[in-house]
Amino acid sequence: MNLLWVVLLPLIGTLVPLLTERFGRNVCAFSVALLPAWSLILVLMHVGEIFDGEAIRQTIEWIPSMGLDLSFRLDGLSLLFLLLILGIGLLIILYARYYLSDKDSMGQFYAYLILFMSAMVGIVISNNMIQLWMFWELTSISSFLLISFWSHKPDARKGARMALTVTGTGGLALLAGLLLLGNIVGSYDLDTVLASGDLIRAHAAYPIALVLVLLGAFTKSAQFPFHFWLPHAMAAPTPVSAYLHSATMVKAGIFLLCRFYPALAGTDLWFMIVSLTGLITLLLGAYIALFKHDLKGLLAYSTISHLGLITLLLGLNSDLAAVAAVFHIINHATFKASLFMAAGIIDHETGSRDMRKLNGLMKYMPHTATLAIVAALSMAGVPLLNGFLSKEMFFAETLDQSMLGSLSWMIPLLATVGAAFSVAYSLRFIHDVFFNGEPIDLPKTPHEPPRYMKVPVEILVALCLAVGIFPAYLVGDLLHAAAFSVLANDVPMHSLSIWHGFNIPLFMSFLAMVGGITIYYNRRHLFEFQAQFNEPDAKYIFEGAVQSLIKFTQRIMATLENGSLQRYVFLMLLFTLVMSAYPLFELTQNAGSRPQLPIDGVAITAALLLIISAIATVIWHRRRFLSLIYLSVVGLIVSLAFAKFSAPDLALTQLSVEIVTIILLLLALYFLPQSTQKESSNRRLSIDLTVSALIGCVIGTICFAMLTTPLNSISDFFIANSKTGGGGTNVVNVILVDFRGFDTLGEITVLGIAALGIFKLIAKMRIYVPTRDDKGRPWTKDRHPLMLAMVSQSLLPLALLVSVYIFLRGHNLPGGGFIAGLITSVAIIQQYVANGVLWIKPRIKVDYQWLIASGILMATATGLGSWIFDKPFLSTWFDHFHLPWVGEFELASAMIFDLGVYLTVVGAVLLILANLGKLTTSERVDNKENV
Amino acid sequence: MQHLPIFPILIPMLAAVFMLLPPLSNSINRHRVFAIAVMILLIISSALLLLTSHEQGTQMYILGGWQPPFGIALIADRLSTMMVLLTSVLALGALLYACAGDDNEGMYFHPLFMFQIMGINGAFLTGDIFNLFVFFEVLLIASYALLIHGGGKQKTKANVHYVILNLVASSVFLFALGILYGTIGSLNIADMASKVRLLGDQEQALVKSGGLLLLVVFGLKAAMLPLNFWLPKTYAVASAPVAALFAIMTKVGVYSILRIHTVIFGEDAGALAGIAIPWLWPLAILTLIIGAIGVLASPSLRLTVANLVLVSVGTLIIAIAMQREAATAAALYYMMHTTLVTGALFLIADLISKQRGKAEDRYVVARQMTHSKIIGITFFIAALTVVGLPPFSGFLGKVLILQSAQGLTESAWVWSVVLLAGVASLIAISRAGTTLFWRHSNGSNDSDPIHPLKIIAVVLLLSASPLLVIFGGPVTDFTNLAASQLHDTTQSVDALLIGGNK
Amino acid sequence: MLNTAITIATTLVCISLILNLWRLFKGPSRPDRILALDTMYINSIALIILFGIASGTALYFEAALLIAMLGFVSTAAMCKYILRGDLIE
Repeated sequence: MNLLWVVLLPLIGTLVPLLTERFGRNVCAFSVALLPAWSLILVLMHVGEIFDGEAIRQTIEWIPSMGLDLSFRLDGLSLLFLLLILGIGLLIILYARYYLSDKDSMGQFYAYLILFMSAMVGIVISNNMIQLWMFWELTSISSFLLISFWSHKPDARKGARMALTVTGTGGLALLAGLLLLGNIVGSYDLDTVLASGDLIRAHAAYPIALVLVLLGAFTKSAQFPFHFWLPHAMAAPTPVSAYLHSATMVKAGIFLLCRFYPALAGTDLWFMIVSLTGLITLLLGAYIALFKHDLKGLLAYSTISHLGLITLLLGLNSDLAAVAAVFHIINHATFKASLFMAAGIIDHETGSRDMRKLNGLMKYMPHTATLAIVAALSMAGVPLLNGFLSKEMFFAETLDQSMLGSLSWMIPLLATVGAAFSVAYSLRFIHDVFFNGEPIDLPKTPHEPPRYMKVPVEILVALCLAVGIFPAYLVGDLLHAAAFSVLANDVPMHSLSIWHGFNIPLFMSFLAMVGGITIYYNRRHLFEFQAQFNEPDAKYIFEGAVQSLIKFTQRIMATLENGSLQRYVFLMLLFTLVMSAYPLFELTQNAGSRPQLPIDGVAITAALLLIISAIATVIWHRRRFLSLIYLSVVGLIVSLAFAKFSAPDLALTQLSVEIVTIILLLLALYFLPQSTQKESSNRRLSIDLTVSALIGCVIGTICFAMLTTPLNSISDFFIANSKTGGGGTNVVNVILVDFRGFDTLGEITVLGIAALGIFKLIAKMRIYVPTRDDKGRPWTKDRHPLMLAMVSQSLLPLALLVSVYIFLRGHNLPGGGFIAGLITSVAIIQQYVANGVLWIKPRIKVDYQWLIASGILMATATGLGSWIFDKPFLSTWFDHFHLPWVGEFELASAMIFDLGVYLTVVGAVLLILANLGKLTTSERVDNKENV
Repeated sequence: MQHLPIFPILIPMLAAVFMLLPPLSNSINRHRVFAIAVMILLIISSALLLLTSHEQGTQMYILGGWQPPFGIALIADRLSTMMVLLTSVLALGALLYACAGDDNEGMYFHPLFMFQIMGINGAFLTGDIFNLFVFFEVLLIASYALLIHGGGKQKTKANVHYVILNLVASSVFLFALGILYGTIGSLNIADMASKVRLLGDQEQALVKSGGLLLLVVFGLKAAMLPLNFWLPKTYAVASAPVAALFAIMTKVGVYSILRIHTVIFGEDAGALAGIAIPWLWPLAILTLIIGAIGVLASPSLRLTVANLVLVSVGTLIIAIAMQREAATAAALYYMMHTTLVTGALFLIADLISKQRGKAEDRYVVARQMTHSKIIGITFFIAALTVVGLPPFSGFLGKVLILQSAQGLTESAWVWSVVLLAGVASLIAISRAGTTLFWRHSNGSNDSDPIHPLKIIAVVLLLSASPLLVIFGGPVTDFTNLAASQLHDTTQSVDALLIGGNK
Repeated sequence: MLNTAITIATTLVCISLILNLWRLFKGPSRPDRILALDTMYINSIALIILFGIASGTALYFEAALLIAMLGFVSTAAMCKYILRGDLIE
């Protein structure tokens, strides 16, 4: 059979209610039930094989590299849980049909419910640990949705978040634990893991893995100290509580303990943690339950207590105790689900869940009352009901252990005390609600619910009775099969019968009964005693904890991320310093073996000028114009240095970039304050100075060491191939347009984008235009001095001629498209400066944006042209020709590329400068169409 | 199709150029149609490239026919083609979203967007470290311009920080390149890898400086501690489609660390092997912690998501620091997941903030959203994914990374930090979700209907999450192969030097 | 003979460059400083030409040409700036 379908059917069923919701409540509920029922039938078809001790497996490969397969296994334990999940689930579907009001979205509710059901089914039939974890977290998520179903209620939101946070966190711990187990065993396959119990228990990582897995189980099963979320999950609609907190969600943790019992149990550590946690939870839950006035609150704490009981049993490391635990899982699920449903009916029909108001309901709803009373008696452990049987086994097991050494006698005693409280709160449930006088100002007059709303309760209560009377006949096989898979070996002899003769467990039961009645009878004293404690509300504590965590993190962030650019840059430079400096400790000597060039007077002068003006730029950086002039000196000296050290191309480029930059800065400076205030403290200044000086020293050292070390580089290839391969004698230019033309293409794109970006930025700008200079003097009236206009106009043709010259010779001598483009643009900008925008407008009718685009396009097209000749992008072609009059000349595809560069440069520079300049004029760009 | 490897660079570039020229240049509608068509074409060619590279081995494209190490070569191996495809898919989502109206809030959105993609794709594909610098510049300058898209004081301020930090980083990049070229004498990454082994002690110290300076540069892009502080505010103020696209930007940094420090300074680099690793470990873990703290501290959804980016960066760098094939493979899977989902989350945050009036996406009580159902579903799925809960891709990524840490001395750190960051995200996101969707005042809402393109965009990006799980098998097979290709020097270095396969 | 002349000329140009810088520092007015910068441009032209003559190559003359042309633009722009503030009107 296909086990995949067992989980897939309900999963598909998640969508059903969303589709059928519009056809009415009955159709919706019925259609929702179909697929889970089908899935249940699939499971039931295999009951025989499983009772014979077989396990059915199916594996579909999914993600082999992480050991995650779709892997299923149906054994006794899975069967037991599947019956609970699907069986009770179907009853809940029926129940919810009547419970939900017209205001609630039924489709949504059912969708969440079925999603949750599928997740639970997935957990119990997984045969792969990661897959199991997947479904495990899915239950946390879907329960979040269910608990918060009435999301307009703050209680529901907080309760849901609390549940999600606690179980989700536990889930992450579980993940770590499972991965660790997988690492120990070498497989995530459950079969393998469960068979490797000895290996696991002997492994050094066993305690860690155990604690992590238990964290997952305990958070889910609401064990102390993680129990606090469960009562707040009661903000959910009652069908949800009936389902999640009786048979499923909280039982997932128990299931996990059972599932990993063969692999993890049997050690002292297991006993200490599991049984003590169980015991504390058992007592705490039972005690608090008594004081809850809210019906569901009482049931919630009772659930906690019973889960503690099961955990305690599993912790005892005894086979019989495990059997008892499994048995109690069944019993608890049946009576607790029916009690929750009964509580829901009461809430539904009376409008209240407060036991101080609910009194004497026996009279108004005798049928429901009878059912609830039977179930409550089962919870109390009264004979002839299933609760009695497992409690009896529980008592027997507590007697039969000696693991606390000489203190072992305390366990049965405490167990009896817990049972007594359990009797007491069950009594309170029965007496307060159904008897004890008349109801006190209830919102509605109580009456019996619709007929079919009671059916699920009836079925469950009938089961309580039937199992209580004919245990071996009804659940013997199931229990045996389930216990068989928990223990992974033969199940010890146990007898499922009502009467075992007069023995100590029976006496303990009796004692618990009497104790419980006594406690209940004297409850007023206890209530008074309890009233002197301020009961902490977990909701506020949790919320407070989250809030203070958030406040705390916000404080950290406020100190770290203070929004100061200075700090971020400082951190970056500090990091740079550390990264670059510390490898230098390994550098034994600075100077390499290369001989150094002689020093002459010119070099010293230039160095002096460079250093002084660089320092001056920094010192006077708050007087911006002055600083700019010093910066120009720096630029000039750098270009001289380039010229001196045989890099004429660089010198030319540096010079033209220099001028363009100065004009750009002057244009921007007009809108900015001419001088700025001192902003940094002296302390900060000295720290900053230290870091920058250190970085300078480090980079200087590196440069020196590097330049004095002989180098064997690829540049020899360029020199050798420049003429033969690239058709030019100027290696720099051939590198730019040929060897590494792709870089150039990228860089002109950068230039183009920069122009577009600046244009985009200034298009939206509205800026202050100063009418006077920084000393308060008015600007001169003469906008376009005649001399300047004349000289500039005559400069234009000259400059264009130089551009053409520089461009054409670029391939063989210093020059090229980039420099030529800059010269052209400077010359045109000069016209703007000298004659104004209005003068230029009719004379230059080029759209700079198009110029940029066509420049890049031309360069790219040159590259694409080589595809025609089946060569890779940017392969170049050149040849020499002879024409009369002109003589020998060379044509190269690289020249078209270079022309593209030229156009882009001109377009970009003009787009930036002209538009920045136009900001103050009537010709400014306006953002009419944002294209 | 021998030219396929260069398509992912040329297609967006030419598209951008055409959009600046008539007849496209004057109409936003023509831009939109053209851009979407181009993006689909880009996805197709990226997918083809990935398939070609996957089936026929690494594709090397030698620009201008100049054989490595002399010219520039594009390397289309599994890793780079995967990143390119990822970029294209993310970009389509962001683009569709932008076409619903955000693109009209400033000029040149579409051309800049295309240039941005060109830069990112180029950075992924290039096999030359100086060319990498060039493409970094392309993607940076485009990102500067895109970041101010929409305008406003906040964006301008964030942009000033972003630009200045990146300018410093670009200078550091040049320092590093100068040092590396000045000692190794080559710029081709594979060639550098083959040459660093042969260096003398003196040069090694210098190369180490250069290599670590590169870490500064890439660290800033990736937003690794202590270079992470700019990111949350910058991403949070960016216009939604831009923020979504920027989800890939940190991954460019991560990718570069992976490429450079696995190939050049990998196991075979002799004394220079793994020079960055001792730094990566603590920094990655601290980044993750800071990110998690930031996630908790964030007062608005966009900031939360931005801090989640830091968490993902920390996680990825941890995986890189492990220097194992399995960890790299896990990182690649995680990278796909986190990029697309973070992108989707930025878009969702924008949807939310547009529906809540003045409260925007801050965690305060505000009017109810009109379209809370569809937004709620997408948010819920994205939240589960990003927190790392099943059944979506986040948990697979997380589990893969945790698994790959097994057996390392640092694994206790990795596990606890990664899992605790998961808890922090869980707390923060559940708080965010309940506040944004369920706590509302009783005001009427008059927000506009959501443009269908926006929903399509979100769904497109988000669909990656379940798909990455359902097809987890083939995807992890691919990432495993990609990782082993990267770690195997015969494939990532030697094969790229003999002359390529053309 | 030529070498000596070049050495003397270079020395003188270097000295004037330093003096220019001194003027730049001293100011006192903005036009003084702009003028100092402009003179530095001119002295740089001289330096480059001298260097070209000394090394016997014409390769550097374009640089001189460019300084001559662009230096003018820069000086003009700065002057326009102090006169009108707004460069392009």
